Amino acid sequence: MTEHHNIKRINPRRAYEIMTNGVKRITLGLNSDYVAHEVSLHQTSNKPLRSPKKAEKRVLVIAHSERGTLDDHAKQCLAAAAILADAETAVVALVLGELQEDLSNAGVDEVLVMDTLDYQTFQPDIELAFVKNIITSLQPSRIFMPDNLIGDGDLGRRLIASQPEKLAATHVIEINNAHIANYQLGGNAIALASFPYIVLLAPDAADTSLPFSASALAIDPLTANQQMRHAQTPSYASLGMQTIDAAKIALEEADFIVSAGNGVSNVQTLQTLAAALDAAVGASRVAVDDGKFSRDKQIGATGKTVSASTYFAIGISGALQHLQGIKDCRHVIAINRDHSAAIVKRANLSLIGDAEEIMQALISAIAEAKITAITDVKLATQEAA
Amino acid sequence: MSIKNIAALVSVGRHPVSGEARHCRNDSLAMTLGLALTSHLNATETNTVSFKVLHAGNANNTALKDYLALGASHIDMIDVAAESLIIDALAANLTNTDLILTGSRAENGLDSGMLPYQLAEKLGFSLVANALAIQQTTDGLTGGLEVLQFLPKGKRRSVTVQLPAVIVVHPLAPVELRHAYARQVTGTINQQASPLTHATPQEKTLKWQTETILRKPIKLKARENKSGHARMLSATVSENKGGAVVIEGNSVEKAQVILGYLREHRLINF
Repeated sequence: MTEHHNIKRINPRRAYEIMTNGVKRITLGLNSDYVAHEVSLHQTSNKPLRSPKKAEKRVLVIAHSERGTLDDHAKQCLAAAAILADAETAVVALVLGELQEDLSNAGVDEVLVMDTLDYQTFQPDIELAFVKNIITSLQPSRIFMPDNLIGDGDLGRRLIASQPEKLAATHVIEINNAHIANYQLGGNAIALASFPYIVLLAPDAADTSLPFSASALAIDPLTANQQMRHAQTPSYASLGMQTIDAAKIALEEADFIVSAGNGVSNVQTLQTLAAALDAAVGASRVAVDDGKFSRDKQIGATGKTVSASTYFAIGISGALQHLQGIKDCRHVIAINRDHSAAIVKRANLSLIGDAEEIMQALISAIAEAKITAITDVKLATQEAA
Repeated sequence: MSIKNIAALVSVGRHPVSGEARHCRNDSLAMTLGLALTSHLNATETNTVSFKVLHAGNANNTALKDYLALGASHIDMIDVAAESLIIDALAANLTNTDLILTGSRAENGLDSGMLPYQLAEKLGFSLVANALAIQQTTDGLTGGLEVLQFLPKGKRRSVTVQLPAVIVVHPLAPVELRHAYARQVTGTINQQASPLTHATPQEKTLKWQTETILRKPIKLKARENKSGHARMLSATVSENKGGAVVIEGNSVEKAQVILGYLREHRLINF
């Protein structure tokens, strides 16, 4: 028999944590006994606070919200402003449209919300007048806006054109304290310039992960609101929004995509689910190769790159090529049999189980929810009458 | 007020691979949309609508002929000495116009997409960007235009705008470009001297410095001063990798979890 005295023993019941994705993690160096505590989903931030105690200067970030949140592009602007701000500078976010999320992790020190200036209503003259009022009262040293198509790119250019004495740059792809850069000559050259007063930032110019948090104090923009009511007769009017039928829309443009992979046996169920959710239908390469879907539905490296806010991956294991195609999707929900599949690591919510069963259950749950919603509306109108 | 004068502004584009001067696609869309609107109005309205295609810039550019081939029968070309004079030269030429159509972004120069905004500001016109389709409002009293606007994520918005107006056409406008050599031969380009002979004292502008090589932009990242332990931790434990995983429960419960998630993030409205 050999001696085992010199071999270092490892306690098989070492302390571990269960992470949100269900995986046990052992942290070396922790000597406490058996600790099995769940890490909560909404973790409180323990990052240091960046906000200046007394702000000497301010930088202003203006962005429209969508469905009560700011999109990634707007968050990148906030992050850029917060990273470039020095210790005496406060980052003020002016959110046009309602806001229902906490912006402290986005690096914002003060938040102004103007929920009547929603991006869905076209009122550029009122927005411009309001923004100019805010600028006069805050006197920011710099202004950042996302160069997007939901109104900020338009509003930013109107703002730039209305004050030609201020320096400004659009489509900015690179930003740091010394200079900014953008593509010129139709994307054939990079040009640098010194830091201007107004910056319209292109997507992906800044990283949103910040090592600090901020106070995100809400300020009331009431004074500016009162001035806004005295606007002249507007030269613009909105006739309303139209949403293109999800089945007809190009996948790249779709906002909600239900996507099928090898795990989907019944295509009809998936189509029904997509119709119930008013979503576009996509597919992985395997499903397209099997002939279940046409080639133009393929999402991934060889197919299309999509940027939907909701991506429903059903029976998709999540090959790297597929994940490339969905890298811009905000909410990914996965249904898969295998809890170790790559899509589970990417997804915001994963359900482990049979795709067909869950789809059927979801279809009936949606139908039920829609009926309840309709009866609620009917009851409300009856009560009102 | 009904539309009498329509103008489309065209610029010289650049072939994406060879760099050869050619027509700018965005401007061609605007011009074609203007041509279609003009012929439609001339067919339905009593008064005649005039349409002109305008270019301000270097007189020796042969790429303008592309616009003749694409449907313009005549191009007015203002010879401008300096780039800073373009807005003023255009504004002086467009005071009597009711509707100005432009592309969304040039393929040459700064291509900042600012020209229509500066022009509208200078002339005091209204402006609508990201237009996909234009038509005269059916209600004669309002005397404006009805514009279908592009919004991302499969959304469109119809808006009305009072004339005179600048309309910026979106690159996805459903317009078919048709190139005909015969039109290129028969069309004419009329060169005018700029009404502005000398450069006005320039406003403050950014001094751009073009880099010699095309490189990838450097993304702005926050500097982190972390301890060795924290760095090791962040290498092994990623902060937000993977969301919630639901393994337990039957399919009905799982369906409710999905509905709950969609409702929480306001992705559905029922």
